[in-house]
Amino acid sequence: MSSSSTPDHLDEDAARLALEEVEEAEAVLAQRPQKAEAALGEGAGSGRSSGWVTAALAAPGLLWIGFYLIAPLVIIVLVSFWTFTDSGFERTWTLENYSELFNDSTYWDNMISTFVTSLIAVVACLVLGFPVAYFLALKVESLRIQIALFIIALAPFWTSFLTRAIAWTFPLMGREGALNQVLIKLGIIAEPIPEFGFSTLSVRLAMIQLYILFMITPLFFSLAQVDRHAIEAARDLGGNWWRTFREVILPQTMPGIVIGSIFIFVLTMGDYGTVATVGGGNITSVGTLIYSKIGAVQYPQGAASAVLLVIVLMVGVWVITRFSNLREEL
Amino acid sequence: MIETMAQAAEAVARPQDVVVRREVKQRRDWAKLGLGVYFFIFLFFLYIPMILMAILSFQGDTGQLTFPFRGPVSLDWWKTLWDSNLFNTIADDVSASGRQSLWLSLAAGALVAVFGFMLSMAFRRRWRLRTDVVAFYVLMLALMTPAFLVGLGNQLLWRFMGETPSLWYTALGANVIWGIPFSFLVMLAVWNRYDRHIEEAARDLGANSVTTFREVTLPLVWTGVFGSFLFGFTLTWNDFDRTILLQNGYEAQPLPILIGTWPSSRPILPNLYALGAGTTAVTLFLIFTVLVAVTLRLRFRSAPVTRPAEELGEADSLAGPGSLRRPAE
Repeated sequence: MSSSSTPDHLDEDAARLALEEVEEAEAVLAQRPQKAEAALGEGAGSGRSSGWVTAALAAPGLLWIGFYLIAPLVIIVLVSFWTFTDSGFERTWTLENYSELFNDSTYWDNMISTFVTSLIAVVACLVLGFPVAYFLALKVESLRIQIALFIIALAPFWTSFLTRAIAWTFPLMGREGALNQVLIKLGIIAEPIPEFGFSTLSVRLAMIQLYILFMITPLFFSLAQVDRHAIEAARDLGGNWWRTFREVILPQTMPGIVIGSIFIFVLTMGDYGTVATVGGGNITSVGTLIYSKIGAVQYPQGAASAVLLVIVLMVGVWVITRFSNLREEL
Repeated sequence: MIETMAQAAEAVARPQDVVVRREVKQRRDWAKLGLGVYFFIFLFFLYIPMILMAILSFQGDTGQLTFPFRGPVSLDWWKTLWDSNLFNTIADDVSASGRQSLWLSLAAGALVAVFGFMLSMAFRRRWRLRTDVVAFYVLMLALMTPAFLVGLGNQLLWRFMGETPSLWYTALGANVIWGIPFSFLVMLAVWNRYDRHIEEAARDLGANSVTTFREVTLPLVWTGVFGSFLFGFTLTWNDFDRTILLQNGYEAQPLPILIGTWPSSRPILPNLYALGAGTTAVTLFLIFTVLVAVTLRLRFRSAPVTRPAEELGEADSLAGPGSLRRPAE
């Protein structure tokens, strides 16, 4: 690879490369993988024009994000402090939207129930998804089969959440749904369970089904990088299944667990479509509540509700990231 | 000197690169068996609603929303999607929505691919004042912001500017937001596998940077660019939460909006199932076509793949100073 150097420098060159490799290996051994940004940023680009080229490459995407993401988020915060009028809002600063919201028990009830739903979803996705990712990453030996199975498991992620929510709601759940029919046929229940249709239970079940892939994917990638020899070593040293899992596999999988949990938490807290479809209008969440406020042209109130939701989200994400140092791991 | 090198090389070989051959006692791996069974139950759980929906869409004209299946097996409900002479037809809506969705998704895919590719190119270069860290977090913010808030914020922004939100100016923009970070991550994985020395070689052979880019870089990473396009396309093709807040009601609704507002706006009949199964089939068909194309392409590449993470582009870069690191073969 170092063919570009002259034979005289070959030795030095090779030695230098070897030393670099040693350093890198030490970094790996010290469990400090390079950050993604650092790894990407290395090499190429020096000289005076380079900064401009970098800026020109990054500008279109970042400007687009600035206009369609950052500006809207800023506007939400601004509008939440503006005054409600019949036609929307006017630029008079007020705290009334928030004081109204803090006294609105419906909002807080919904916040709590949405939070509980999220929590259940995170835990359930982790518990149900871990064996799937573990099987794919560590138990399937053939690479080709592994990829094929992973893609089969991942494919529904690409299809519409809404279609899947509808498929979940009407044919499967509900009083007359397939699930009730099967349970009755099997003699497990005598009467159809009404809670299967348009209920908190069905919303929660649907969310697990719809979002679990967001947990499995990061889990799979971190499990695939677990050093198999470390597992073998742990076993050779007499560690039983549980200790191997707890002391070897789990610490190395933590980043995946954290990323997956953040995904599920954020997606379920901010969900609107699933609750509206699976809940059939009977079930409310923070999302549907904000949506109905917007529908009633109560923009400032809606914006204030959204800001509080974002604060809850940020606190939640912060708490989740305490479990692992993501910046190091990425 | 040679000795030092050999020692150094030995020291760096990663432990997982060493192939240890030993007699393995053949024992049945019960854990594997159990987990395998669990995996297939999981797949069943994942796919069953869609399969049930697809089955019910083939009912006869007395078809209902739930089992039992009311025969005979027919395409009647599917026909209402395109034949405007039938009773219960939705052909006009479907063709208008389908076209709208198709063009929007194609545009979103193209934008996502271009932006994601350019951003990832930028991240291969030096940034001043650690602005790259800020940019990285902005991208992660785009990934993490709930869809619903993006829709709400854009609606407020356009109202604030005194404009009516529209599919092409607002919803498209908001949809691209979610695609960009995915595209960026895909390209990040692609660049991780990419060997910079090839570019250097091209330059040493006298190619200028445009030629190098066109004839060396692009052909090697186009699968990533195409993957990005696919991400942008399917995310937009299936988006509901953003678009519902950003359409103005005068334009033809995209398919997900048509499906999503259906239960509250018209009688639910098995043709809703046909429509849902149809859009799902389009998405799945696209993915599998692309995957087959990519797999075929990978066959022509010689890079040996030893660990699954590498195949999926997640491994640490293979393109290091390199040769010392490869296990002897």
